[in-house]
Amino acid sequence: MRPADQTKQFIKNASINSNPDVNEAVLKELINEMDKSQNTACVTRRPDMWRIIMKNPVTKIAAAAVIIIGVLAGAYYLGDSVNIAGTAYAEVVERLHNARTLTYIVETSASIEWMPSIKMEIAFKEPGYMRMAAPGGYVSIIDSIQGKGLTILPPKKQFVEIEMSNLQNDPAQQNINLIEKLRSLPERADEELGTREIDGREVQGFRITEEGLINSVWIDVQSRQLVLVEMEFLNAPGMSGTMSDFQFDVELDDSLFNLTPPDGYTRLEIQVDTDEVSEQNLIEFLRLWTTWVKDSRFPPTLDPTKLANFSMEMVAKGEFINDEQISEEEQHEKSLKMTRGLMFLLKMPADSNWRYAGEGVRFGDAGTAIFWYRPEGSQTYRVIYGDLSVQDVAPENLPK
Amino acid sequence: MDSQCLVASQKAKRETEDFINSHIDDPNKGWPIFSRVATDFASKWKSLMLEDKLLVWKFKHGSRDALCQIYEKYRDDLLRIAAGLLNETDVAEDIVHDVFIMFVRSAKQFRLTGSLRGYLARCVVNRARNENLSRQRRQTVSLDDTEPLALDSKRPDRWIICSEEFARLSNAMATLPYEQREAVILHIQGGMKFREIARLQGVSDKTAQSRFRYGLTKLRSILFSEVTK
Repeated sequence: MRPADQTKQFIKNASINSNPDVNEAVLKELINEMDKSQNTACVTRRPDMWRIIMKNPVTKIAAAAVIIIGVLAGAYYLGDSVNIAGTAYAEVVERLHNARTLTYIVETSASIEWMPSIKMEIAFKEPGYMRMAAPGGYVSIIDSIQGKGLTILPPKKQFVEIEMSNLQNDPAQQNINLIEKLRSLPERADEELGTREIDGREVQGFRITEEGLINSVWIDVQSRQLVLVEMEFLNAPGMSGTMSDFQFDVELDDSLFNLTPPDGYTRLEIQVDTDEVSEQNLIEFLRLWTTWVKDSRFPPTLDPTKLANFSMEMVAKGEFINDEQISEEEQHEKSLKMTRGLMFLLKMPADSNWRYAGEGVRFGDAGTAIFWYRPEGSQTYRVIYGDLSVQDVAPENLPK
Repeated sequence: MDSQCLVASQKAKRETEDFINSHIDDPNKGWPIFSRVATDFASKWKSLMLEDKLLVWKFKHGSRDALCQIYEKYRDDLLRIAAGLLNETDVAEDIVHDVFIMFVRSAKQFRLTGSLRGYLARCVVNRARNENLSRQRRQTVSLDDTEPLALDSKRPDRWIICSEEFARLSNAMATLPYEQREAVILHIQGGMKFREIARLQGVSDKTAQSRFRYGLTKLRSILFSEVTK
């Protein structure tokens, strides 16, 4: 054996063990910490939203928000919000915990004239498949294990392949693990709502209020089946939604989650290689946003979920420039820019300490820092200013 | 096995038993077939469950089992890296403890863009480096001046239990410049490529390789009493 190999071997073989008692103590501490985090966690993201946003011109963001909040808030509701004292509820929880598949129908509506109610069929299957089917044959399938998805667009016989191989925490994937979320239900509801009748069934209601969302859950008194969930979105006045027709552990054929596009369909490219996204993509998105709004201000937030909510309000206030006339190619290009800009954020490591301070700042304000982050391995921060110029700044000189 | 891990393994066992019960009519043939099928099942289950992507996915969604598995899977590796870098087990233990705590606290925001092992190792390295820097700033004791690693593994509160070889290695490591130590530990014990080490250290690939090579040469001279020229 060569001396270098001998040394390497020695290093490899030099072992340590860990004390089992301490191992267990630390693990308990971690689990306690996890429980604390779970209890204090609020609804931070409604995962698919950003993806839908990106596929729409900005004046349609609100519509996208309605759809996605409707779909996903239900998932969050079920996953995050409630556990109610009572055997009927306990049984529902138990069934949710053990469900291998789950299907339901979600319907959302908004009190906006041009925005129709939207009804979608949702199907989940372990370990990480989701299918959303909307009227008109629109279907989205996500396979979170492969990190791939497929959306079918019947009008033009097109399909979109979603490839997020380098973005394992893609928010779109987070939503899929509904079943897993259901296993960590919190302990109580805020209020009991008594009984009422739905389609001839006597149901018992429970209300849970969480950040931005009120949920009313209705469970059949006799059969102890989950019948209906009503959702009211506090951040989007006038928006509401229901989840119904729950089915647990029905046989869902794998073909439902097949990512092979139908014959005769052509590919619409929106693949984003997250390896290639850079600071410049974020800058392009910020610039693009200022062209969408009438007052040239930067977005109020870069959190995709909050951005959608803000967009809803901005649409209602007429703050966007009407760009309904843009071509599909332009729409696509803009969507891609938005995608890549937000991808840059999603890809950023936790220790980048990025911060956005662009709310209220107008494009061209060279004296105001709107975004900064520390690139990997760098001692200094990259700071983007209101004129979208960029400078390297020492940590002690960052804006306070 | 920790009690929380039992939940996951019991689930697998239960599923295995269900499978057996539904497939074996003759109880006399049950056990050998059970043994074979259970092994097969356990193997498949393990490969599925231990896959990092899935683990992280479940962990982010609040799965205790996933946290337990991540902890079990990487705990000793991280302790070894920390102890190798710092030559002081108390501090190494604190760092690994803190890394796991921060990992749990940041679950919701956590974004895995590479390997989980690499991510956790980088967290340990960054904290170890900070520890080294803060000592240098305080101009007290640098890592290079710490006392030889003692084999005081009998202390009940001690997390890391060093083998004699590890103590010997760690004491030899302490004589290396910190960057060389990092390169050696991360490449051999952390399984990182030179490109990753270079990125972590903010140097070129060649520099990372050189640091590794010089470090290895010096270690060889110390560990095996060879004279370097």
